[in-house]
Amino acid sequence: MKPWRRYSICILLGLAGGSAYAVHQVRSADLGRQVTNGPWSANTDNGTKDASALSRARVALFGLLALPAKEAMYFTARTDSEGAPLNGKCTYTVSGSELDARWWSITLYKGEGWLVKNAANLWSVAGNAPERDANGNWSFTVSPKKADGVWLPTGGTPQFDLTLRTYHPQGALLNNPSSAKLPTIKKESCA
Amino acid sequence: MIRNWLFPIIIGLLAAALAWQGTLMATPYVLMSKAMEKVGGRAPVNSFGFGEPSTTDNQPIVRPSPDLSYSSCAFDLSKGPVLVDVEPVSGHYWSVSVFDARTDVAAVRSDRETGGKPVKLALKRFSQRVPRDYEPVQLDYNKGLVLIRILVSDKADYPQIDAIRRKARCRVADTK
Repeated sequence: MKPWRRYSICILLGLAGGSAYAVHQVRSADLGRQVTNGPWSANTDNGTKDASALSRARVALFGLLALPAKEAMYFTARTDSEGAPLNGKCTYTVSGSELDARWWSITLYKGEGWLVKNAANLWSVAGNAPERDANGNWSFTVSPKKADGVWLPTGGTPQFDLTLRTYHPQGALLNNPSSAKLPTIKKESCA
Repeated sequence: MIRNWLFPIIIGLLAAALAWQGTLMATPYVLMSKAMEKVGGRAPVNSFGFGEPSTTDNQPIVRPSPDLSYSSCAFDLSKGPVLVDVEPVSGHYWSVSVFDARTDVAAVRSDRETGGKPVKLALKRFSQRVPRDYEPVQLDYNKGLVLIRILVSDKADYPQIDAIRRKARCRVADTK
């Protein structure tokens, strides 16, 4: 084989392999995993010049136009608190206490981050929706069928993720998100 | 045999590294460009488009929040600086954020900083002059997006919020 053919083959394979690996790296992650806390993960450099090329590409794919941490912290959970992938045929209880932010919500997405069709046209639970007990604790249900109290439908989608948005976060939520007290996601049953 | 392939393989590995980094670096530009096309379909360049509430049938950008009202302006500074005026929405979280073509945030102003006053931003390149009564925001690229988020915690408030957000303006500055 002539030398130029050997070089051409190796360069073409290199270009294809390098690009394919980059696409795989970007697509196989989620919004970001710089910080983990139970089932939740988050990025702390969204929208900043400090973000790495990989981090910027992941955020562009899974959470384009995300705000910087000082304005909003975004936490994503793809598993329950035991580490099992979130399944749209299962029922979960999401519970927690007051979060140190001006406002928060939890939204259910599938795939790269798309709202899921459901008969109730409900896609998120805002922080002021669940009732608080005497200690300020709250909970709501994520399930395919209507549940009592505050309910977030899965629409029966095979897999989903939950995104916790916290606007104007303070304290540990902003400065030490890996130790902040975040909601738990407990699997109750599966259909 | 091995000697014949050694240098081509080294060159191939270098090509792989370049392609890997190039793909990672190009991804934000490509996805941002697509987003600008999508939201730009709502309104011409350098003017605000006012999106309807996010539903499964209305998701122009990945991971939309159904609790927020979104308004966006795809800007282009090639014809001069762009002025952005946004009215405050009292009693609701709201913010104005400026994203460049690489998805970096050039500025964020929310009701926390503005104290109930309107936001007046002048988006500019390094050499461009802007009116004195606008806060300059320097960008590294000509193109990008301005995004207004307003919290709609009660759907009954939406008509009032919608009327206020539609007062937002995005336009090329008259610097003559």
